[in-house]
Amino acid sequence: MNMSKAFLSITVMLLLLSRSASAHHGNSAYDETVRVPIKGTVTEFVWSNPHSQIYVDVKAKDGKVVSWAIETNSPGILTRAGWTRRSVKPGDEVTIILCPARNGAPVAYIGSGDPGTKVIFSDGRELDFTDKTAK
Amino acid sequence: MRNPLRCSIIAFGILMVVLSNGVHAAPSPGTAQGNTPAVRFDPHDLSGVWQFAPGGGGQGPGDNFPPLTAWGQAKYDANKPGYGPKAAPGGNDPILKCDPMGFPRILFVIWPFEIFHVPGRILMFFEGQHTIREIWMDGRKLPDDPDPRWYGYSIGRWEGDTLVVESTGFNEKTWLGAQGQPHSDEMRTVERYRRVDRNTIEFNLTIDDQKTFTKVWYAEPRQIKLKPGVEIPESFCVASEEEEFTRRIREPAARPQAKE
Repeated sequence: MNMSKAFLSITVMLLLLSRSASAHHGNSAYDETVRVPIKGTVTEFVWSNPHSQIYVDVKAKDGKVVSWAIETNSPGILTRAGWTRRSVKPGDEVTIILCPARNGAPVAYIGSGDPGTKVIFSDGRELDFTDKTAK
Repeated sequence: MRNPLRCSIIAFGILMVVLSNGVHAAPSPGTAQGNTPAVRFDPHDLSGVWQFAPGGGGQGPGDNFPPLTAWGQAKYDANKPGYGPKAAPGGNDPILKCDPMGFPRILFVIWPFEIFHVPGRILMFFEGQHTIREIWMDGRKLPDDPDPRWYGYSIGRWEGDTLVVESTGFNEKTWLGAQGQPHSDEMRTVERYRRVDRNTIEFNLTIDDQKTFTKVWYAEPRQIKLKPGVEIPESFCVASEEEEFTRRIREPAARPQAKE
């Protein structure tokens, strides 16, 4: 599956029909009306409460590397969504569908309150934020 | 009784289903409504892991608070939240430094909590900040001059099938919700919990704080849903980790005009 083709478009605009709370302190720094794909190599996965974090190096066509810092949910929420602290590892090649910072910085949010945000591995596996314990 | 063995197996199966649903001696047992077979439950047993259903006031008692006093308005103006009509990047939400969320905010956050019945008390164990709140059920009165606390001082009683919890003795350091609603140390609250089926508690909250609001605030009614199979993990908010998160993500995301 050639996902890079699919994600070559600049920005995936998704009008959200409904929105639930994304973080416990508010996400006004991020544009939650869009979903943007980035593709790169994981450099660090921080499994900490209340904010886990994924750091990804993205190489542009000119060879310049941009380091992205991505906020995500707490280990409790991630665990209920099927993640573990080993789910994402340095060196993993990933595509991440994210909500970027409004100020243009390479900082973003992915998480349970923003449907469509997720991590896609090079073998096609996906990690999202759906609560797998929900009946 | 054409097949005694078969009847025994069926009876045993029914017993196991009943036991697995945690039915206890009930003052007035209820049954679940809906398309699924009725499930008995004890309305006086709130044991289990629960979480507020989305909606209503979001992560707080809502924005529909009564007019503020001058004192309350000044406090509200000073609060810079990440949610609600005043939402902006950055801000000064006390929990950004891992300050205790306080009551009632801890109820409404995006994490579940577990309720325990122990002799003389009900305990609420919150995933958010790994915090325990105690509600005294031994008939004592609220203290006349309580020390100010992050979670106040709470007593509870049953009125029919409704658990009524009265609280006082709060400090002024917390917000009522993520939208920055203020309160004072004169705040008194009344919570009402009524389990209407196995999976649902109907919740009402009254906030009486004449130093902050010109009227009593009757918050939007909410539902709390059972979370079967969920365990509360260790989930402390650690100030040193939060500082690092702020340095690496929160501040860069909130900084104005990051674009070249």
